[in-house]
Amino acid sequence: MNAYIITRDNLRTWIDALIRDYTLVAPVREEEKVSLFKPVGSFTEIDLNYTNSTISPKGWLFPQTEEMFFFFTSDNQINLEDACKPGTTILFGLRPCDVKGIIALDPVFNGTYQDCYYQMRRQNTILVCLCCTRVERHCFCNSMGGGPTNGEGADLLLTEMEDGYGIEVLTSRGEELVNKYHQLFAVDGDNRVSKTRDEMGKKLASQFSRKVDISGIKEFLDQHFELPYWNELAQRCLGCGICTFICPTCHCFDIFDQSPDGESGVRSRCWDSCMFSHFTRMAGGHNPRPTKKERIRNRFLHKLKYHRDRYNLDGCVGCGRCINKCPVNIDIRQIIADLQEVARYDQLPLS
Amino acid sequence: MTNCRSHNPLRPFPATIIKIIDETPDVKTFQMVFDDPEVMENFKQKPGQVAQISVFGVGEATISITSSPTRKGLLEFSVKKVGMLTSALHRLEPGCKVGIRGPYGNHFPYEKMKGKDLLFIGGGIGLAPLRALIDFVLAEENRKDYGNIEIIYGARSVDDLCFKYDILERWPQMPGTKVYTTIDRAEQGWEGHVGFVPAYLEEINPTPKNKYAITCGPPIMIKFVLQALEKMGFSDDQVITTLEMKMKCGIGKCGRCNIGSKYVCLDGPVFYLSQLKQLPPEF
Repeated sequence: MNAYIITRDNLRTWIDALIRDYTLVAPVREEEKVSLFKPVGSFTEIDLNYTNSTISPKGWLFPQTEEMFFFFTSDNQINLEDACKPGTTILFGLRPCDVKGIIALDPVFNGTYQDCYYQMRRQNTILVCLCCTRVERHCFCNSMGGGPTNGEGADLLLTEMEDGYGIEVLTSRGEELVNKYHQLFAVDGDNRVSKTRDEMGKKLASQFSRKVDISGIKEFLDQHFELPYWNELAQRCLGCGICTFICPTCHCFDIFDQSPDGESGVRSRCWDSCMFSHFTRMAGGHNPRPTKKERIRNRFLHKLKYHRDRYNLDGCVGCGRCINKCPVNIDIRQIIADLQEVARYDQLPLS
Repeated sequence: MTNCRSHNPLRPFPATIIKIIDETPDVKTFQMVFDDPEVMENFKQKPGQVAQISVFGVGEATISITSSPTRKGLLEFSVKKVGMLTSALHRLEPGCKVGIRGPYGNHFPYEKMKGKDLLFIGGGIGLAPLRALIDFVLAEENRKDYGNIEIIYGARSVDDLCFKYDILERWPQMPGTKVYTTIDRAEQGWEGHVGFVPAYLEEINPTPKNKYAITCGPPIMIKFVLQALEKMGFSDDQVITTLEMKMKCGIGKCGRCNIGSKYVCLDGPVFYLSQLKQLPPEF
């Protein structure tokens, strides 16, 4: 695929043009240590010098709260009206792990039953990925089959260079975003972009504070549902659900109605969390996951096994947000390492 | 491009309650008809499938379809008043508007059951999903495909027996059909059997030969029924049950009805005992 180079000045012109022609959602520094993806009105609002956003950008495809349809009663008839009408959006400056998160969500909202809310947003969204330039202490994308300069799944891949940005075109949709403003770009004739990206990749590979070995974990969990380990973990977990809130691959939701007068109203959905006891509690009171043990086990089995079982994709992309934000320092890297340990112990012959 | 209007599986179709039958003090059967005749015509459920019922302004709940697909032009749902949505549904009257979407989930293996005898074991409201299959195999056009039908059904009291007309009058008169009804404790005026369903099952002691056993009821009943069936020599591939789970979307997205990596809304609710034994015990 083609590669181009854009100067810093032209990048500014390009982004302002994209803002004029599309809805552009990009990382914005809200306050110290809080970076969020938001629609922006000018280039100056964007902060590209961020490691990763505090909350994952999945909300632009799967909003935290989303109106699904409105209902009206008149003359004893129910009428429904859809609420979803998205325009073309550019998700600009996504990190590679978050692109991988979107790729992990795609098959959930696809399949026999197409989730039209997600699908319409997804089809109308162009993903512009930005290679990382540093690694945080909780990052571990390289353990989960990704990497800080691996833009697989995006439409365009940007790499910061000395004199501007390199742009690699990964899809025809990405190509359009370049062609439309072609005068701003110089063709990368001698593969400078991919060379710079490779060098950055190598440099960052040595900066990860921890590498974990995921191999064999799913196969071990296939055979071992009951482990005393989940009890130990559950004793620490507060069940606060922050891990599910910031996770780029968590997709659980609730559906609820709001109707002030009982005659008309709106049906919406909002993010929900498998860490909450009410999540699986049935109206009659029976709860198949009654304690934190079952719930924390479900979350980690979802990430390390169930998502693989259903979609042949890892349910964790190694963004490290849950490690960073967990109030009791539950660390999925440590869980993987512990499970490796348990698996090794399990395989020891009984003497 | 995905068209929200014609393909949105999360959008229910408006329907009207045409009749409400009081089954027990806390169970009502609702007959519903889609407002659009074309939707009614195209709604083709199989016995054992479920649907999402909306009471607009309150929400949705997953309810098994209790009428057989051989009964055209309407759908029946038997609903026990246990939570918010079911309580709201119980407050409605004939003529009230609701929403229905579905059908969802797998179904009873009625093709594989051809040529076999069928043993149904139900407790309380658990008869509701079984009734769809019972009426399917008893339907005139299907009856010749199936062998003898035995139905063992129990409830706490006479008042708590669902589908009284079916179990006491209609089904016992069908050819090749036996119905055994029991209540937990003796009552004045009840001349039938008294005792729990699993004990009654052991007393009747049906042979497993050329037979499928299909059971649904309270978890404690299912547990002892499965033990009794095993004792009688039923293999795990001859025993079928249907599960209840909290569901929101019904289409495998919202993430709450999983047992291991299976979603009950997509891969269930009907499971062979042999399949259930492969799953983690989280149901």
